[in-house]
Amino acid sequence: MSLAVPLVAFLDALGQFLRPSTLAEVILNGLSKAALYAMIAGGLTLIFGLMGVLNFAHGSLTMFGAYLGGLVLVLAVGQATGPLARVAYFFVAVVVVFGALAGLGGALEVGLIRPLYDRPPIYQILLTFGVTLVLDEAARIVVSFYGLQPISDWQAALGTKPGPLSASYEFAGVSVSGLALFEILVGAATVAAVWGFLTRTRYGLVVRAGSEDSEMTEALGIDVRRVFTTVFALGAGIAGVAGLLLAWDPVWGASVPLASETLLPAFVVVIIGGLGTFRGTVYAALLVGLVDASMTWWFVNAVDFSGLPQMTIFLILVLVLVVKPQGLFGVAEVGGH
Amino acid sequence: MSGEAADASTPDASAPLLDVTDVHTYYGESHILEGVSLSVDRGEAVALIGRNGVGKTTTLRSVLGLTPPREGTVRLAGEDVTGRPTNEVARRGVGWIPEERRVFSQLTVAENIRIAAPADADTQAALDRAYDTFPALGERPNANAGALSGGQQQMLAIARGLVGDNDLLLVDEPSEGLAPQIVADVAEALAAVAEETTILLVEQNLPLAMDLADRFYLLDNGQVVADGEATRGVTEDEEIRRYLSA
Repeated sequence: MSLAVPLVAFLDALGQFLRPSTLAEVILNGLSKAALYAMIAGGLTLIFGLMGVLNFAHGSLTMFGAYLGGLVLVLAVGQATGPLARVAYFFVAVVVVFGALAGLGGALEVGLIRPLYDRPPIYQILLTFGVTLVLDEAARIVVSFYGLQPISDWQAALGTKPGPLSASYEFAGVSVSGLALFEILVGAATVAAVWGFLTRTRYGLVVRAGSEDSEMTEALGIDVRRVFTTVFALGAGIAGVAGLLLAWDPVWGASVPLASETLLPAFVVVIIGGLGTFRGTVYAALLVGLVDASMTWWFVNAVDFSGLPQMTIFLILVLVLVVKPQGLFGVAEVGGH
Repeated sequence: MSGEAADASTPDASAPLLDVTDVHTYYGESHILEGVSLSVDRGEAVALIGRNGVGKTTTLRSVLGLTPPREGTVRLAGEDVTGRPTNEVARRGVGWIPEERRVFSQLTVAENIRIAAPADADTQAALDRAYDTFPALGERPNANAGALSGGQQQMLAIARGLVGDNDLLLVDEPSEGLAPQIVADVAEALAAVAEETTILLVEQNLPLAMDLADRFYLLDNGQVVADGEATRGVTEDEEIRRYLSA
């Protein structure tokens, strides 16, 4: 009798979960999470793949993107600004954030990381960890000075989101938020752009070759150090744009802790996909996003324990590391210079 | 004096294509090359022979700037390139076909060839040239290079050097780890390449090196200990055999 009650409850929840409308909602939520994970982790994996640098400052660059993009939107958007204009300002902010963060990333690579390439990886890890402490503290000081809630979400930036993105929509019994659809669109466009760059351009070919054997690439007459700077800038720019997207998402929002909140899942996605492989990172983001959304549904609707969805992501990580330590799509060795 | 300085920094068609003078190269504190000097004229194929670990590969790496010399000079057509970044040396027309081939295993055959062609080159012409020389590569242009056999990978490595429009090819142990029949194919391919490009060849297979080269340098303990014309007779020379087997 005591076992039968939870079993009935479980079967009841399973029945609800397997309804087409529920599954469709979970998949859409999972795709929106995957889009964000792919954007945050994509830059991280490109940088590691080419340079062998684990960039601990990546989350801070995302947080800077959230604040900078939020600032652009807060300055540009007024009460009377219509939804289309707000979306247009979002894309203006994308350009500003990408340019600024790519510039910051390029400067960090040239000024701080480049002198350490010939040293053991621990030097680069310690350096980027130090950079993240400096960037986080700088952000904390600035946002405290201007009275912008450094710990909780920056509400003014959240408030610039157009109404249609805050609303939910029903299609054939499936409910989905406008923001989730927008995140899926922006994430898919970013992944397609990076994939096109890597596979359809000569520079992308150089990046892939350099990721495999930078010494051989250099011996073909290619200035690999310049490619390092470009890729670091590209990765930082994408991280910033992901941050901008998060500034509109009430689950995340612009705040100083966003740096660490995004860095951890990004590392998990990169490790599951295989360090240094962009394709693996995209697949891992899909896996983690869909599992996260499924578990969130289960632990909200069937079991009242909201801390567990996050834990399942780390369980996938442990499982992958045990079964395939180099990740789902990883090769034995990447990076190196 | 100023004339000499100008000669050292600008190409000179009458100078040897490669002139290595009294080069000393180290790995950390290990003194590997102890005053190596050699030269290669345009159109020549020169073999660098010697036992394992005497500094043959290090000589090639020193020329390319991958392991820059601490002393001595490397000149290309009279131009001093000592210590220049590797990509600059390569852009001056020096190609490298490294030991163990080092093809980009995750890239396709066609991508390996495309990346080796100069950025402003006609990519299709480069592919056609590579496939004409090595028809086996043309049969699998979209295969990942990592999926090729050892012999095909060596062909691809040579093709990469070929399409780079290089004046000088540094070829390191091209027969290493290959079956005898494949070695014969590689030798044939290299002989064809040698007709249009200057080659500095590191090779432990003495008969192969003597067949391909016009001249040779014998390296021992980081120094050139003998040099001369490359003939089959060299393979029977007792003193040289002693150096190679010591």
